[in-house]
Amino acid sequence: MADNDASQGVIHDIGFRHYDGERLGRGWIVRSLLVETFRGVFGLGRPAKAKIMPWVLIGILLAPPLVFALVAVILGLDTLPMSYTAYLPGMQFVVSLLVASRAPYCVSRDLRHGVMPLYLSRPIRRNDYVLAEFAGLALAMFAVLAAAETLLFVGALLAKLALGAQITGYLQGLFVALVLSLVLTAIGLVIAAFTPRRGLGVVAIITVLVVLSGIAAIVAALLVENGNATLGNYWGALDPFALVDGIAVLWFGVDSALGRDVALGLTGGVVFPAAAIGIVAGGIGLLMRRYRKVGVV
Amino acid sequence: MNGTVMQLTARGLLGRRRAALLVILPLLSLGLAGLTRWASHADVHASSVLANSFAMGTLLPLMSLLVSTGVIGAEIDDGSIVYMLAKPLKRRVILFSKLIVALAAVLVFAVIPTMLTVLIAGDEGGRLMVAYGVSAALAAVAYTAIFVTLGVVTRNAVVFGLLYALLWETVLGGYVPGIRAVSARQWALSVGERMLGTDAGPWAVTSEVGMATGLIMLTLVTVGAVYLGVRKLQTLTLSSVE
Amino acid sequence: MGPGVTGLLGPNGAGKSTLISMMGGFLPPSSGTVTLDGVPVWRNTEAYRSIGLVPETEAMYDMVTGWEFVLANAKLHGLSKPDDAARAAIEQVDMADAQDRDISGYSKGMKQRIKMATALVHDPTVLLLDEPFNGMDPRQRLHLMELLQSLAAQGRTVLFSSHILEEVEEIAGTIEVVVAGRHAASGDFRHIRKLMTERPHQYTIRSSDDRALAAAIIADGSADSVDVSSGALAVQASDFGRFVHALPRLARDREVRLLEVTPADESLESVFAYLVAR
Repeated sequence: MADNDASQGVIHDIGFRHYDGERLGRGWIVRSLLVETFRGVFGLGRPAKAKIMPWVLIGILLAPPLVFALVAVILGLDTLPMSYTAYLPGMQFVVSLLVASRAPYCVSRDLRHGVMPLYLSRPIRRNDYVLAEFAGLALAMFAVLAAAETLLFVGALLAKLALGAQITGYLQGLFVALVLSLVLTAIGLVIAAFTPRRGLGVVAIITVLVVLSGIAAIVAALLVENGNATLGNYWGALDPFALVDGIAVLWFGVDSALGRDVALGLTGGVVFPAAAIGIVAGGIGLLMRRYRKVGVV
Repeated sequence: MNGTVMQLTARGLLGRRRAALLVILPLLSLGLAGLTRWASHADVHASSVLANSFAMGTLLPLMSLLVSTGVIGAEIDDGSIVYMLAKPLKRRVILFSKLIVALAAVLVFAVIPTMLTVLIAGDEGGRLMVAYGVSAALAAVAYTAIFVTLGVVTRNAVVFGLLYALLWETVLGGYVPGIRAVSARQWALSVGERMLGTDAGPWAVTSEVGMATGLIMLTLVTVGAVYLGVRKLQTLTLSSVE
Repeated sequence: MGPGVTGLLGPNGAGKSTLISMMGGFLPPSSGTVTLDGVPVWRNTEAYRSIGLVPETEAMYDMVTGWEFVLANAKLHGLSKPDDAARAAIEQVDMADAQDRDISGYSKGMKQRIKMATALVHDPTVLLLDEPFNGMDPRQRLHLMELLQSLAAQGRTVLFSSHILEEVEEIAGTIEVVVAGRHAASGDFRHIRKLMTERPHQYTIRSSDDRALAAAIIADGSADSVDVSSGALAVQASDFGRFVHALPRLARDREVRLLEVTPADESLESVFAYLVAR
């Protein structure tokens, strides 16, 4: 580097100093991304208008448990009008809408505005990003669904229903919430990652969920009618809500929330959870593949 | 009413990913129709249930919504609509042109598939098909008007539209009798019910309201939505808030 | 604003785009009016016959070719010969080679030029350009500057916004400065500088005998300070009128030859810095 003559030009130190301080590592980045995604699902840290949508949906989801509790208290019932495991599949439209509207928020914006190179120029790997987003959304979904179940539980306690049965039901409900969150997050994020255009992602996710539920229900019904009940019931694994419903019935012995007759014994008890794991793993895998090509300039 | 607007809109609507989605649901409907025919042996009642619950209850609103976002929602969102608005064109001309394109798309991707669904699943002399065709077309007009206006008025049009279509029309409509009377689907079905006369009951084409009420409500809602849409388009401001 | 090139200058977030939106009829002013030849622009679609708008947003109708897009714009304007107008506009922005490719495949500079073409196709008397030089390479930028100047020379009113001083300095006759949502200054930037009397003007003077001249200036009292340290005289004078008249007289009296007298801060940059720092 040649010396700088005063007449040729000189560079002054105006404050862009070298940063020698502590650099927080990869783990910290992943954790922040997760927290950021989680908060974003609820509209926290964004302007008020962004909070309307998620909270309206959450409100719709949380209102019925309160109503059930009231009904139980007033009428002096000895069980809740709707069981823990049946509630979420019963509210499948609202839950679907929730994931459909929030999944695009998590991934579509970053893709659409091309900020992935910014993320990737930091000590964070692509798969870290994928896992952080997935965990963030799944945790947020679980928080909401678990809150619904918890409200049911609290209501049951207030109505002085039999404690033992309620606790079992509550835990089963939480399990359903967990599996549902994971499966829906997987499906939602994959679709959102492939439809970055605004608005399109939401409709695409709902369409796919509707398609899955439609196919599962009708094919199952037709096969059952034609005497092929077992095969018919297996088709339920295609639809997330029928899937968790099936797991609940087979593992916990509760009544099916969707009024179906799922009698599959041991094989079913393995196939359904395997399907769930398959969907989640497959979804994450697809996401990682999708993000492999992103941000490569 | 303006050919260039319609051309641009149509080309924007049929972009790759959206076009794929536009085709999935109708195909599913036809597939379900085939299965229903096989399972129920072309029973007209079963066919009608399928058409009513899936075709009119799910396919039609979702398609209308998908088309509406493609016809105006996306343009407002990324700001490219400025090229249409900064012209000496009356805003209502722009909106009407887009509505026509939207309606044509919904007719092709939802109403005709509905009719085909009925035809495949089981019909008697085509009467059920025509009845559903008319009902679906009327509902399509209302849905399209509502969703396009929704797209002009709010950025969250899609979710609100879905809440309306799925929650209001389908779920709540099933539980709360009062709501059923305030539903575009019911209004549209009233016409189909009248058309089928005595067969309406056995064929499960029933409506909460009479045909006169239904038609009046449909007209009111459609005209109201379009008027609102034009007004809002005239005062549209473009900002890039996410 | 009248005919000629006006530069709208301000830091990011100052409100330049907002102002252009208002002028383009896409935002109603919260008070006052924005009029074109006396007619308000808000909710006035006829005004667009005379206004050409080049928005900042990059989004366009991606699925058509450049030619089809400009042609569509021409038709939307209701021109009687849309093909000719479109062809002329595309020629003017030098996009004739690429006109048959889909817009989705254009680079940023190409998209900017197509945007210009859509704004020119109907021969408007007013051109509003929001950050038009964004994404253009130096050659394209020069081309656009020449274009804007020739358009202004034909009597049109051209307004463009930028936060890059060099761009504005080169072609803008008048500048409007917007800072934090408020109108900070307006007019020729040299005149604006003269209005800033509380900031002493700075001059750099080289002469045959700097020290003698410095002593003379100080003795005369027409300058606030004189600095001989950096190989030339750096003079700060609040009353620049008096200084400018005194300097030749002082130099002649001391028999010092003036080699160079340069105003050190009469650039748009310093004017701008003063305005923004306030």
